[in-house]
Amino acid sequence: MDLKSYIDLEVLLRTQPREREVRRSFGLAHASLSPEDQLQAWREKHLHTLQTPRLSDRIDHFLYGVSIILLIVALILGILTGVGLLRYNGSEPVNLIYFLAIAVLIPLVSMVLSVIAMLRANRAKNLLVHLSMAYWMERIVALWSKESADALHEVRINPLVANWIVIKRSQSIALAFSIGLFLALLGVVATQDVAFAWSTTLDLGAEDFYRFLHTLAWPWRTWFPEAVPSLSLVEQSRYFRLGGGVSDTLIAHASLLGAWWKFLAMATLFYAVLLRLLLWIVSVKGLTRALHTAMMSLDRAKQLLSDMNEPYITTHEQNEDEKKDRTEPYQPSGVHMPVTAYDMVQGWSLDEDRLRFLCDHFDIEAPVCFHVGGNNTLEADEKVIEESSGSVVLFVKAWEPPTMDAIDHIMALITKVERLVIWPIGLEEEGYVANPRSVAVWVRKLTPLINEKVWIVE
Amino acid sequence: MSQREIHPKFAVVGHPNKGKSSIVSALAMDDTVAISDVPGTTTKSRSFPLKVDGKVLYELFDTPGFQRARQVLAWLKKHDVSADKRHEVVRAFIDVHRDDPRFNDEVELLEPIMQGAGIIYVVDASKPYGEEYEAEMEILRWTGQPSMALINHIDVHDYSDAWKRALSGYFHIIRTFNPMKHDRHTHRAILESMAQLKEEWTAQVKASIALFESYYEMLQQRSAQTIAQLMIDSLSFVARKPLKDQEDEAVQKRRLEEVYKESLRHFEHTAQRKIDAIWNHRHLEKSQEEITFDQIDLFSEESASLFGLTRKELMVTAVTTGAATGAGVDLLFAGHTMLLGGAVGALVGGVGAWLSFDRLSEIKILGKKVGVRTLEMGPMKNPNFPYIQLGRILYYTATIANLSHAMRKPIALKMDRAFKDQWLDDTTRKALEKFHKRSREGKVLSEEMRKSYEALILERLKVLVG
Repeated sequence: MDLKSYIDLEVLLRTQPREREVRRSFGLAHASLSPEDQLQAWREKHLHTLQTPRLSDRIDHFLYGVSIILLIVALILGILTGVGLLRYNGSEPVNLIYFLAIAVLIPLVSMVLSVIAMLRANRAKNLLVHLSMAYWMERIVALWSKESADALHEVRINPLVANWIVIKRSQSIALAFSIGLFLALLGVVATQDVAFAWSTTLDLGAEDFYRFLHTLAWPWRTWFPEAVPSLSLVEQSRYFRLGGGVSDTLIAHASLLGAWWKFLAMATLFYAVLLRLLLWIVSVKGLTRALHTAMMSLDRAKQLLSDMNEPYITTHEQNEDEKKDRTEPYQPSGVHMPVTAYDMVQGWSLDEDRLRFLCDHFDIEAPVCFHVGGNNTLEADEKVIEESSGSVVLFVKAWEPPTMDAIDHIMALITKVERLVIWPIGLEEEGYVANPRSVAVWVRKLTPLINEKVWIVE
Repeated sequence: MSQREIHPKFAVVGHPNKGKSSIVSALAMDDTVAISDVPGTTTKSRSFPLKVDGKVLYELFDTPGFQRARQVLAWLKKHDVSADKRHEVVRAFIDVHRDDPRFNDEVELLEPIMQGAGIIYVVDASKPYGEEYEAEMEILRWTGQPSMALINHIDVHDYSDAWKRALSGYFHIIRTFNPMKHDRHTHRAILESMAQLKEEWTAQVKASIALFESYYEMLQQRSAQTIAQLMIDSLSFVARKPLKDQEDEAVQKRRLEEVYKESLRHFEHTAQRKIDAIWNHRHLEKSQEEITFDQIDLFSEESASLFGLTRKELMVTAVTTGAATGAGVDLLFAGHTMLLGGAVGALVGGVGAWLSFDRLSEIKILGKKVGVRTLEMGPMKNPNFPYIQLGRILYYTATIANLSHAMRKPIALKMDRAFKDQWLDDTTRKALEKFHKRSREGKVLSEEMRKSYEALILERLKVLVG
């Protein structure tokens, strides 16, 4: 997992349409992979859909450029610092305490701060990270590279990842500086005779200083004793500026003073280079882990994983119903009040007893009543139609929508009678008064048939 | 034999306008099914397969209603065959009348049955039984396919007894089902009845039941994630606005506050649409105006009174949380603070809650020293707001989750304070406050905390959705 993969994935998750069925198929085909590997496999599959140059390439190129510049500057600074510290003019020895401060003390302090920054890396507002030059560098570079600034703005890098990028870059810079320092030491020692000595205002005896150096040399003193200064060397290397120059003792032991370089080289190698290399490795691991965490916490990545790994259940058609909703506002039409005397009463799915009751109820006079529809045979209905003439009332159940069976009967009746009154009735509980909505259904269905011959009662 | 031929199929058939499409819509959890009180809305059979990863577990068919049942039955009866050959006559009817527009609906509804679908015959028990139904039931008997009757109640009257007596002559399984009051329990009950129709189908339909249970769990889980996201987005949101020298500071502050509020309303609206989509209620968007809590705005006093905590409840919550924080300090000093930490924590929490009860968040002016002034509002400081927001979205989710897919009328979101008691008890309030306090302090919730928050919301949602 690297930054480029993370950016590619973030962009793809934003731009790829969410097709659940396709994602689930992909998940089933890659079920044996870990969630992170599933995401990586998905990213690789869709990588070709990204525009080239990819945003990840642009950002990576920019960050790489910034890092390389910083590394080169740090290396040169390290060399220059080393040469400066070891500068020997032949009149005064080189105070090795300066060099120790740069090669051991400052690296140790900065490493402690780096460890604290690493421990607090998951905080968006990490002061130690923001103090780092590595944090500001790309912002400064972006000021004169609009393209790079745009690329950086295009992607939302997780703060945790951003912190680890800065931490890793800080370690790289420090490592480059330390290597420069080490190379400077080797270079100066190889090309000049440097007389090392130590001098301090502090009330520090040679024995104390020896113990301190002995402690510093613990990593290599057992297997490389030549790189540990002896007590006599420490005693012989001390000098005081008071008196205007180098003491006779120092001059007497001038050839011995050069022996310090091994100790300084090992101290630089261990404290400035090796320990920093260790921290750089930790920062690389930390960045990888941060990228993993950031990737797994992307909302769209979580969604993708859930789409891939949860069963894809559909209970409905993929295409929406193409039928039109035929609900139309009800507009009364063809409403006619009946007269009271008819030649015949028919009831669609209503038996003759009920028909007689309805005639009484609605004060209708008719010599004959016929049951049609319902359980009647088609032949029985045809016979009723044959006998139909004059004015006919056809009672229908308003709550039952008109079927084509009823429409067939009405159309056959129309050819036989002079006047047909279709009377939708309501439920007994509602006093046989039909619900207007139900009547509207009948009116709508019968509208093509309504004329001066066919009436419908509302 | 192909997979299409072996999975159970069920054709929902009946008289026109008796709620067949509503039942299919409810059972398929699909609000795209055209439902109308105009008869004849369904003119073609439509298939609703329950698919898991592309595999069909069972298939529902929505069919047109019978139009000329007597003519069909008369045609069938003309062929004098023994009972074991009757299904062949039905098949012959389909073959003969496939292109006959007069029998389009009958062919459409009989075809899936003759291809092996079980019959679910739907009647409306709010209307009286009529003899015209007998021809339909007789035709279905001729098909020889396993069948059950579903008694639907579209209206207020109840003729169930008469219907049951009539249906028992044709169907062994008779169940009552109201698609408008459909929930996971009735869904399960109907599926269990469908499983009894044919022995070979039992295992698959039972598997579907188990699947539906996990499906519901999944929907709840996704809803909880959406709600948690809404809360995090709302509580951490910060609105900014540049303030120019010539601009009136008070006016700009008011404008920024409106922008801030509008953004939070937008978050809520977006979350509602996500909840609709999760529960397959996408078509609710059409009646969006009707689902705005009866015009109760997120920032209204009414909303605070219905969904939020009272000042007293808020004080108690803040005092308890403050005391717990202070007690940590006491513990650190092994009690040498004479429990002063707890007391101070409780006091600070209580006073803070009292003072910020009606305040959303202060508006700060940034960049005074560098000359480019910016107004900033957020994150949300009002300790009551999270409960209002959470209460509203939980209420919305519970309503949508319990809403039948057959429902086509605008839904009414009316509620009273009793709703709060259903989901918010003291323990939940204390647990929630831990997260809300962190948001007020502008701290980001870690992934673990976010998961705990989601789990807490899911637990409450389950109480509401059932």
